[in-house]
Amino acid sequence: MNDAVEVTLRAVGVLAAFLVLPLLVGQTEHKVMAHMQGRLGPMYAGGFHGWAQLVADGVKFVQKEDITPAAADQRVFRFAPAVALVPYLVAMAAIPLSPDVVAADLPASAVFVLAVTAVGILGTLMAGWASANKYSLLGAMRAAAQLLSYELPMVLAVASICLAAGSLSLSGIVAAWSPWWLVLQLPGAIVFLVSAVAELQRPPFDMPVADSEIVFGAYTEYTGLRFAFFLLSEYAGIVVMSLLFAVLYLGGWHGLASDQLGWLWTLLKGFCIAVVVIWLRVAWPRLREDQLQRLAWLVLVPLALAQLALTGVWVVVAA
Amino acid sequence: MTTTEGRRELTVGMGAGGLATADMVLNIGPQHPATHGVLRLRIVVDGERIVSAEPIVGYMHRGAEKLFEVRDYRQIIVLANRHDWLSAFSSELGVVLGVERMLGMEVPERAVWARTLLAELNRVLNHLMFLGSYPLELGAITPIFYAFREREELQAVMEEASGGRMHYMFNRVGGLKEDLPAGWLDRVAYAVQAVRGRLPDLEALIVGNEILEARTRGVGIVTPETIAAYGVSGPIARAAGVDMDLRRDEPYLAYGELFADSGPGRVVTRTAGDCLARLEVLLEQVHVSLDLAEACLDRLRTLPQGPVNVKLPKVLKVPEGDLYTATENPLGFNGYYLVSRGEKTPWRLKLRSASFNNVAVLAEVLPGNLIADMVAILGSMFFVVGDVDK
Amino acid sequence: MTTTQPTQPTQPTQPTQPTQPAPGSTSRPTPLPMPRVGPATDLAPQPIRVVLNWGRRYSLWVFNFGLACCAIEFIAASMARHDFIRLGVIPFAPGPRQADLMVVSGTVTDKMAPAVRRLYDQMPEPKYVISFGACSNSGGPYWDSYSVTKGVDTIIPVDVYVPGCPPRPESLLQGILKLQEKIAAETLTTKGIRAKYAGHRIASAAEVNRPLVPPPTKAAP
Repeated sequence: MNDAVEVTLRAVGVLAAFLVLPLLVGQTEHKVMAHMQGRLGPMYAGGFHGWAQLVADGVKFVQKEDITPAAADQRVFRFAPAVALVPYLVAMAAIPLSPDVVAADLPASAVFVLAVTAVGILGTLMAGWASANKYSLLGAMRAAAQLLSYELPMVLAVASICLAAGSLSLSGIVAAWSPWWLVLQLPGAIVFLVSAVAELQRPPFDMPVADSEIVFGAYTEYTGLRFAFFLLSEYAGIVVMSLLFAVLYLGGWHGLASDQLGWLWTLLKGFCIAVVVIWLRVAWPRLREDQLQRLAWLVLVPLALAQLALTGVWVVVAA
Repeated sequence: MTTTEGRRELTVGMGAGGLATADMVLNIGPQHPATHGVLRLRIVVDGERIVSAEPIVGYMHRGAEKLFEVRDYRQIIVLANRHDWLSAFSSELGVVLGVERMLGMEVPERAVWARTLLAELNRVLNHLMFLGSYPLELGAITPIFYAFREREELQAVMEEASGGRMHYMFNRVGGLKEDLPAGWLDRVAYAVQAVRGRLPDLEALIVGNEILEARTRGVGIVTPETIAAYGVSGPIARAAGVDMDLRRDEPYLAYGELFADSGPGRVVTRTAGDCLARLEVLLEQVHVSLDLAEACLDRLRTLPQGPVNVKLPKVLKVPEGDLYTATENPLGFNGYYLVSRGEKTPWRLKLRSASFNNVAVLAEVLPGNLIADMVAILGSMFFVVGDVDK
Repeated sequence: MTTTQPTQPTQPTQPTQPTQPAPGSTSRPTPLPMPRVGPATDLAPQPIRVVLNWGRRYSLWVFNFGLACCAIEFIAASMARHDFIRLGVIPFAPGPRQADLMVVSGTVTDKMAPAVRRLYDQMPEPKYVISFGACSNSGGPYWDSYSVTKGVDTIIPVDVYVPGCPPRPESLLQGILKLQEKIAAETLTTKGIRAKYAGHRIASAAEVNRPLVPPPTKAAP
C-alpha cells in the first residue's frame, strides 16, 4: 500500500515538473529574447509582465480544431506527438536533483537517459513521414541525418565522464564530481553542449524545422494540441539536456548548504545552461545540414575521442 | 559531407550515392516564409539538391502600367511609388524627372538638393530592410530588430517632411510638394548621426560571423556574363565586379557634383559575385549614402530660401513625343519609357523595374545548389515582389 | 478609425454548383470536413468559457499574409518600437496550421486569391482575419485595375478592417485590440462556427474566380 502511494506521489511530482519547468524555460525564452532585441516580450497576458503567456497558449491550443490531412497516414500521424513527448518525460524521472530528490534512481541512469532521449527523434520521423507533405518529409530526413551526426559524440562525451567517475549512475557521477573536472572535462563538456543543442534542433542547428526553408519541417501539418505536444517536447528537451549537463559537468547539487538546498543548486545550474541555449538562438544564424555533418565528424568526434583518451590516462595515473 | 571545389556533397542520410532516387517537384510559394512576398519558385529537387528552378511571377501583378494610362501626371506618382514599396521616393522621382524633361522645365536648385537628400535617405531605408531580412532568412532573428530601430529613426524624419512613412508622395512635377519644415535639416543631421553611431551594432551581428560566412561565401556566384545576359543591375551587378552606377555614369539630380572626383560619392564594388559580396556591397552602400546625405545637408544649409517647385498649369499636358528616363534605384536600374500624344494622360508609360531582371537570373543560379542555399541565394537577390510584377 | 464587423459567411462570387473541372485542370473542388472546435469547448460552462476566451484573446499566433507594401508596416509593428508581441500576438507561426490570426496585408490579386482562400481553409478553427490596408479592404489605389481583387472580404470572412495606405503600425495595434475585445465577448461553439460556412465547405479555385472586368476608363476631365 505504501509503495503504491509513493510511486503515485513520485509520478505526480515528475509530471508536475514536466509541465512547469518547460513553461518556465519558454517564458524565459520569450523574455530573454525580447530584451536582447530591445523589446519587452509579452506584457498583457495574466497582468504582471505577461507571466501567463504560455498558459494562454495552452488554453488556446486546447480549443483548436484538430486537423488530420486527408492524405496523411492517420494513425501514425496522430500517434507521433506522444512518441516525441514521452521519452523526455521518462528521462526526467531518472535525473536526480539531489541525492533524495529523484523519482527513479536507476543503477545505470546515464545510459538510460541517453537511450531514452534518442527515442524522441522517432516521433519527428513518424510525423514527417505520415504527414504526406514534402516539407515535412524533408524535415524528417534532415532530423534523421542530424541524429546520426550528434548521437555518437554525445555518447562518447558522457562515456568519458562515466569513466572518470567510475559509475554509470548519475547520482554516482555527481558524488564523484570534483571541481577539477571543470578543466579536465571541458572539451567533453563543449562536445556535449553542442550535441545537445543539435539533438534539440535548436539554432544554430535547427535545420529540421528551418522556417525560412521548409516551413516547419516535420511539424508543418500539425494543429492544436498535437502541435502543442511537439512544442512541449522541445522545451522539455531543453530542460532535460540542461539538467543533464548540470549533473554531469557542473557538479549537480554541490554548492553551499547542499544538504538542504541541493535540488535548488541543480535547478539553478540547469537554468543557466537553458539560458545559454536560448542565447544561442538569439545570436546565431543556422548552419547547413552538411556543415553540421562536417562539424560532427571532423571536430566533435575526434574531440570526444581525445577527451576519452585523456580521461583514461588520468584515471590510470590517479589510481 | 566533403566539400570539393565549388560543389557541395551531402551524402549522409539523404539519398546516398548508390540508392536510386526520384526527382521531386517542390513549389516554393506563392506564400512561403522565404520569398518575403509572393514570388513562386517551382523547383525540381533530387533529395535536397536543386535540379532545375523556374521563377513564376505574376502573383502581385496589379496592372500598374495600364492604370498609368488613365491617370493624369499628378496621379501617376501615387502608383509609381507603390510598385517598389521600399524605394518609394526613388520610384516617384523617375516619373517626375521624365515629365520635367519632356516639358523642358527647370527645377529650382533647392528642390534638386532636397530630392537628392531624400533619395539617399530612402536608399538607406531600403538597404536596412534587406540587411535585416537577409540574416533572418539564414536563421538569425536578431539583426532585423536592429535594422528596424534605424529604419524607424529615418522614417521619422522622412515623415516630418513628407507626411508619409513609406509612400511619400513628396515629388511633384517641377519640384517638391512643399518646402522643408523649419529646423528639419538639424533633425536629419541628428538622425543620420544616430544611425551612423549605431550601425556598428548591426554590423557586429553580420560581419565576421562564422556561420553567416560559411553559408554565403562562394554560394550563388553570378558571373559578369550572366549579369550582362539577364540585364541584372544594382548592388547584385556591382557585387560581381560590374562597375556600373547611373548616379555616376549618367548623373541626374545633384549626383554629377556629388560623384565628381572631389565629392563624397563612390561606387561600391566587389568581385566575388557571391551572396557574401552582395551583402557587403549593401552594407557599404549604406555608409556611402549616409555620406551623400550629409553632403546634401551641408549644401542645403548654404542655399538661400526660395521656391521648391514651379507653378503648374491647371491641366498639365506633356507635348507629343517619347522619352526613356532611368534612375539608379536602390535595387538597380528603374526606367520609365513615357510616350505622350499631347494629352493629359500618357499614351503609354512602360516601367522597367530592377527586380524583374534580378529575379530572372535565379533560373540560372539555383540549379546545383541545396535547398538551404536556395534560401541564401534568394534572399541575396534583394528583390521586391511588387517591383517584379508591377 | 478601426471598424469591426460580425463575421459573415463567405459570399461566393459565382453560384457554387459543383463545377466540372476543365479537362487538364488540376484544381478540382475538394469537399472539406466541417470544422469542429477542440474537445470540451462545446460543453464548457460559463465560468470556464471566460477562461477559454481569455486564452484565445492573448494567444493569437499570427500568420502574416504579406503581399505588398503593408507587409512592411506589419513587420514594423512586430519590431521593437511598436511590438505587438506585448499583446500576445506571436508572429512565429510558421504556417497556416499553427496560426489563429491571419493578417492580410497588401493587394490581393485575382491570381493570388485562390492561394489566400486555400491558406485560410488550412487554418484550424477558431480563426480570425484582419484585413490590413486599403488594398485588402477594397482594392485601394488599384480600385480600377483589371487584375486586383476588390477586397479580400470577397473571398474570406474578415473580422477587423484596418484602413490606411499603408496603415501606420499603431493602427494595426488598435485593430488587434478591437479583435481582442471581440474575442472576449464571443461564445464559441461548433454550431456557431459551422454557421459561417453556410452548409458547405468546398475548397475550389473556381469559387474565388471572377469574370473578366472591362478596361479602366479615362479620368473625367
